[in-house]
Amino acid sequence: MPKDILTSNFFELFELPVSYDVDLNKIQQHYMALQKQVHPDKYTSGTDQEKRLSMQQTSWINEAQATLKDPVARATYLLKLKGTDINLENETTMDAGFLMRQLEVRERLENIRDEKDPLVSLDQMSKELKSATEDMMKSFSEAYEADEIDDAREWIRKLQFMQKAKNEINSLSADLEDELMG
Amino acid sequence: MALIQIAEPGQSTTAHQHRLAVGIDLGTTNSLVATVRSGEVDTLPDVDGSHLLPSIVHYGEGEVHVGTRAQQYSVSDPWNTIVSVKRFMGRGAEDISAKDEHYSYTFAETDSAVPRIKTRSGNVSAVEVSAEILKNLKQRAIKTLGDELSGAVITVPAYFDDAQRQATKDAAKLADINVLRLLNEPTAAAVAYGLDTGNEGVIAVYDLGGGTFDISILRLNKGVFEVMATGGNSSLGGDDFDYVIAQWINEQADFSDADDPAFRRLVMQHARSAKEALAEHDSVSINIEAVNGSWQGALDRNKLKDLLTPLVKQTLMSCRRAMRDADVENEDIREVVMVGGSTRTLVVREMVADFFQCQPLTSIDPDKVVATGAALQADVLVGNKPDDEMLLLDVIPLSLGIETMGGLVEKIIHRNTAIPVAKAQDFTTYKDGQTAMAVHVLQGERELVSDCRSLARFELRGFPPQVAGAARIRVTFQVDADGLLIVSAREENSGVEASVDVKPSYGLSDSEVESMLRESIEHAEHDMHLRTLREQQVEAERVIEALDSAIDSDGDQLLSEDERQQINNARQVLVETKSGSDVDAIERAIKQLEAACEVYVARRMNTNIKTAMQGHSIEEYASEQSLDAKAAEAKVEE
Repeated sequence: MPKDILTSNFFELFELPVSYDVDLNKIQQHYMALQKQVHPDKYTSGTDQEKRLSMQQTSWINEAQATLKDPVARATYLLKLKGTDINLENETTMDAGFLMRQLEVRERLENIRDEKDPLVSLDQMSKELKSATEDMMKSFSEAYEADEIDDAREWIRKLQFMQKAKNEINSLSADLEDELMG
Repeated sequence: MALIQIAEPGQSTTAHQHRLAVGIDLGTTNSLVATVRSGEVDTLPDVDGSHLLPSIVHYGEGEVHVGTRAQQYSVSDPWNTIVSVKRFMGRGAEDISAKDEHYSYTFAETDSAVPRIKTRSGNVSAVEVSAEILKNLKQRAIKTLGDELSGAVITVPAYFDDAQRQATKDAAKLADINVLRLLNEPTAAAVAYGLDTGNEGVIAVYDLGGGTFDISILRLNKGVFEVMATGGNSSLGGDDFDYVIAQWINEQADFSDADDPAFRRLVMQHARSAKEALAEHDSVSINIEAVNGSWQGALDRNKLKDLLTPLVKQTLMSCRRAMRDADVENEDIREVVMVGGSTRTLVVREMVADFFQCQPLTSIDPDKVVATGAALQADVLVGNKPDDEMLLLDVIPLSLGIETMGGLVEKIIHRNTAIPVAKAQDFTTYKDGQTAMAVHVLQGERELVSDCRSLARFELRGFPPQVAGAARIRVTFQVDADGLLIVSAREENSGVEASVDVKPSYGLSDSEVESMLRESIEHAEHDMHLRTLREQQVEAERVIEALDSAIDSDGDQLLSEDERQQINNARQVLVETKSGSDVDAIERAIKQLEAACEVYVARRMNTNIKTAMQGHSIEEYASEQSLDAKAAEAKVEE
């Protein structure tokens, strides 16, 4: 059983350069390879200590994968490695234009039931949101690479808005599906 | 004897020490057991050659029937015949809804959180009923394979929550089966199709069984299965198809007293037969004759489609949601695997093909596919294939969290997080001087505590009083590879700790009775049970032998045809009972045979026929002596 898993940072774990632009396929491949070594199913007849270690390591790998796959969590983690902790609950963007657009999205969501085919509208909004998010991710990456920490921080705040909007679209879709299921 | 083998993890086990492991599909309508023998995976048939064991348990006078034998009672004795018990696994009394009224058995009024079904053998829980099914399959495996089992992989719907998984494990424990792993049914199905070898990509598993619907989105990559998302409906399945068809028949026929349980069951059977026949034919005729009225009519595929479309649409809504959770589109799905007997229905196949825009895989018998996959996984877990690359990675099906102020749920682990997983979150105190905190563990997606399922409550006590907000209480959730949860809380400033293994409120450990059941299967008692069983079986054999030789010597002279028939019947019951494992039933059967022989024994005494040992034994039929005393006497005579 590899010993240094629990002391590696998430990028080291997946043998990636410390950067916002990550190859998701490579993460996936390393993730699978690591799981094959440490997963509890490989230690069903191991000692209690091995089982415990296997569980801890697998949990750590799962957390690493979840963090690197998620645009906001990955960005936050990168700044943390640079010594900048971000508490997203207590800070928000002040960009008035951006906030206005967010407000419009919320309003449309609130009235989505009145639209002709709400599920189709939601799918469409989801696609638009995805492309806008990708642009912001690019902006974060540029700021991060240029060591413009304050800018990077601002992009994380905005990305967080996008993520919240995505969650809202998803949960609204789920509610509508529930209603259609009866 | 089973080989006890301890292998270093990751090292090869030697080839000749093959360990016997099975896969069990504990289904709502049917259950199966499968194993890998000489590299081939097969489901195991019973003595009559039938692979499917109907998941039906009948509680008769002093004996329990399982499967086809129990099914025979479903019309004549519906109140004591338990069908579809899986629907009630891990369910609380308040979960039993009006919808369940189309089951003929009734639930007992009890204080316990665990609903119990009334039977003539007393009230039984879903866990106990499931254990009967598991015992039957275990016996089948031991008989067929001639060896003790090292363990079993038991499948559960991916949608099962913690309580339902725990209940399944408890049932296995009651049946004395070592559970290697609980495996999601759709994952097992994908394994059965060999999608783990040389394949990459995203697949959907559409599993429509008798009582549950599951959709799973899996990603395969070099032998690793990753569940990306699961969804479904734990109370939608082929039973509901039968139910809507039966309702349609009732509307057409206008029977009197259509609510009579036995009759209702009869109509359901006709509905099911019609549905099954329509997989082969364009139209079927239905012919019902009963005291409640008779009806003749026809059902064709178009009408069936009308009846079933709303139900199939519900399943497709779940598919949509699971795909969104997995963040995949229709075109990303490479294969769709069909599982469960209800996918034989053409409407289902057509609508699924249409939705996913690809022809679903149907080449493996949809009833056997899950057990087959479970057997393959059991074989790997038990160490028979040490070089096998297969690894199944799972996610939790429902979010886990704790109650915070105002009756709200703070999610700590979100749905579809890969397991095992450990997550911690810090909380603080609300009042000055607070020295204790209640932790209420919940499962579900909703915001309000009242809309989520309560899994456990515990208290962290005795940390030093501090001003409000100063205490730092770290709550850690840890979910193991089976999806079972341990929650611990620690006040970081003082180091005070408390933790709880989440035994769901509806698990076996809930009431006194159940804890007794649990104790009864502790090893010591298990061994004692085996010993008493063996003793009772020896006693039964002795009694039968003694009776046989007595009848041989004077049965013809002393007994009429009728009397002899009666004794033979009682003898037959004992012969059948003694091969089972129910000590009490054997004891009862011995007593019944003794009673049936009373007249015969009296006559023998009167005619004073001396048949040394046998004669003496038969005198004992009438005696009230304890069995131990009898055994002692028999010894003395020898």
